Amino acid sequence: MEQFKKRKGLFIAFFIAMLLVIFSACNTMPQSEEAASGSSNGGTTAQLGTLDPKNPTKITFYSYSLTYPSMKPGMEKLISDFNHTVGKEKGVIVEGVPDSDYQQHKADIAARKQVDVVQHTFPTLDAGKITLGFKAYEDVFPKDELEEHLVGISENALDLGRIDGKMYGLAFTFSTPIVFINGDLFEQAGLDPNDPPKTWTEIKKYALKIKEETGKDGFALPPDNGWITDGVLFSNGANILSEDRSEAVFANGETFEAIQIWKDIYQSGAHAIGSTTEASEQFMAGNLGMLVTSSALHSGMLDASKAGGWELYGVGLPQFSDKPSVPVNSGSALAVRPDSPEKNAAVWEFIKYVTGNEGYTTITSEIGYLPLRTDLADDPNYLKGFVDENPLYRVNLEQLERIRPATIWPGNYATEAFTIFTDAIVKAVSTDADIEKTITEAEDSINDLLN
Amino acid sequence: MSKPIENNMSTTLPEGILGSKSKTVNKRKKGTLKAYLYLLPALLLLGIWMYRPLLSTFNLAFYQWGMVPGTTPVPVGWDNFVRLFSSKDFGISVSNTIFYTVGLLPFSIIIPLFLAVATHNMKGKMKNVYRAFFFIPLILAPVSVGAIWRWLFHPSNGLVNIMLVKLGVIEKNIAFFSDPLFAKWLVLLITGWKMIGFSTIMFSAALTGISKDYYEAVSLDGANTLQQFKDITLPLLSPMILFMVTMSILFSSQWSFAYIDILTAGGPFGTSTNIYYEMYKYGFSNLDVGMGSAAAVLFFIVFAFIALALNMLSKKYAFYDN
Repeated sequence: MEQFKKRKGLFIAFFIAMLLVIFSACNTMPQSEEAASGSSNGGTTAQLGTLDPKNPTKITFYSYSLTYPSMKPGMEKLISDFNHTVGKEKGVIVEGVPDSDYQQHKADIAARKQVDVVQHTFPTLDAGKITLGFKAYEDVFPKDELEEHLVGISENALDLGRIDGKMYGLAFTFSTPIVFINGDLFEQAGLDPNDPPKTWTEIKKYALKIKEETGKDGFALPPDNGWITDGVLFSNGANILSEDRSEAVFANGETFEAIQIWKDIYQSGAHAIGSTTEASEQFMAGNLGMLVTSSALHSGMLDASKAGGWELYGVGLPQFSDKPSVPVNSGSALAVRPDSPEKNAAVWEFIKYVTGNEGYTTITSEIGYLPLRTDLADDPNYLKGFVDENPLYRVNLEQLERIRPATIWPGNYATEAFTIFTDAIVKAVSTDADIEKTITEAEDSINDLLN
Repeated sequence: MSKPIENNMSTTLPEGILGSKSKTVNKRKKGTLKAYLYLLPALLLLGIWMYRPLLSTFNLAFYQWGMVPGTTPVPVGWDNFVRLFSSKDFGISVSNTIFYTVGLLPFSIIIPLFLAVATHNMKGKMKNVYRAFFFIPLILAPVSVGAIWRWLFHPSNGLVNIMLVKLGVIEKNIAFFSDPLFAKWLVLLITGWKMIGFSTIMFSAALTGISKDYYEAVSLDGANTLQQFKDITLPLLSPMILFMVTMSILFSSQWSFAYIDILTAGGPFGTSTNIYYEMYKYGFSNLDVGMGSAAAVLFFIVFAFIALALNMLSKKYAFYDN
């Protein structure tokens, strides 16, 4: 008995020791460290540290473009060009980190790895600002240099990354939705690819003709596309969020009508079924007449058309009867989180390079995004030759005049709200679900979430 | 147990022997201490890697936090649980979790049992060739498996659609992973297909442990194959069957996770998601670790009860051939 008691005592002592270990470990966790972020800059003056070419500062650049086969070589070239020119000269080394599904930077920030520059998408930029510790450009870079650098980029584009009056993201890679066209399928159906459809009514007519004559699907705008939907609704005069972004306002007559027209094409039998990825694959395989997607996929589409032996054409986002269409932008902004004056300087060098003339020349000609410095398209030193050779870019540049930003969902619940919205669109377009009911329910649940 | 002996000793034994007794006690004490010291590293690791995260999860369920260094979790009380229950996808994910759990049982029990018994009596090399066939899917990486199935079921270029149309089974191509009718069944099928190999190997191993004598004895009595299976194989495999049932029920949601992620991402409109995928989305895509933890806590409790029930069931019904 005595032994048992002693043994029990020993066991209990161990157990308590274990609990202590566990709890002490636990306690350190939620308290967290407040010091990590806000040291040098309280939002007043930005300091640029000095860089030393002999002892270069390393920064990391998280990029989703590094994960797409059609964009990877271009993005790698951009980074390596920087490292071999400005970076070498000034003392900055940029390491590119592939960021598939925009998750890697979040995981790495949570794991306290060094994450300095992130190619961040627009819809969740606000959430990123709150949860990921991104800094405002005005707070970390010198005001006069910043202002000087932004000359030449349209105010429209700059506004996209501004939240509450400060720039948390500088528009970087940028594209609009366009209709890619398979010229051969058009010709087989007796249609002229140089005279493409301009309205949704024409789209339906052309799509049915292609299906009838070639047996292949005529058109695709997959309802899970995530951002083009915004442009479709805007084109019919609908809004998605109220002006102060505090409320969802998309359940209205214009939205219902736009979705009804889309659903009508979707269920006509001439619309390709499946997800966005699947529709792109189908188009690249030469089995789809028209596909609405980001102009950023241009380089991939062009390669596919060359490999498949057909001609690639394109036209802008279709319009509802005589209302001009309102394209939205896809693409990304550069969000930054340097944590020391040296880092400020290093990150600033990189930002200046990639959003400067050389940077955009590479981005447009090697990746396929638009030059935000639109003048480059007419500058023989930079992109004129390229754009003349690839007239599809003109379609894109023309659309920039009517562009509206894709919705930036507000705050903490951005991803959840975005999911509810997309799910409702997919359901309304691709199934027999009642449009009004589905969309109104989605609006209600988003507003429950936001308020 | 040691009580009567000790009493005996203390009353009857002379001083000198008593002294040696306390020595042995000391020795034993040292021995026990040694044993615990041996256990210590394992206990520590278990504490750090299992129980600490577990306790953190319970703790975090009452906070709102994005896991970003430099930010402080905000206590929100039961808010996360309230939001969880009002979330659109939570209900669907719970019912889908049940769907996957129940749907996986044929793939983890019935088919493997049949395959294991069928290959057990084979002679020579073919036995291993067959077993390798069943086992190969298990060792393929889920991501590549997912990619292959995605190509096979592609709405326009996929082999399955082309064949079904050629055979006249369907008129129009089907977008399998974008169709709520098919998406979750396909996820189930692919998860099940992966699991068959594992269960088959487990059952095969258990079968080799059954003595041939039983079969010889009953075949002398004139029992046919079916009777042999029912009266000998099944009872003697019962511990393994119950073990596999437990595994299948407790882990089905984890096994289906990878295919949900790769093939449907929970869609179309959340119809193929399950609870683990939702937890992942709350935590790592919405960066809302509080809500993820709240879901995890609920499921920890539910699955703990299921595990207990299965354990009791297994004690009651498993038959061990000692």
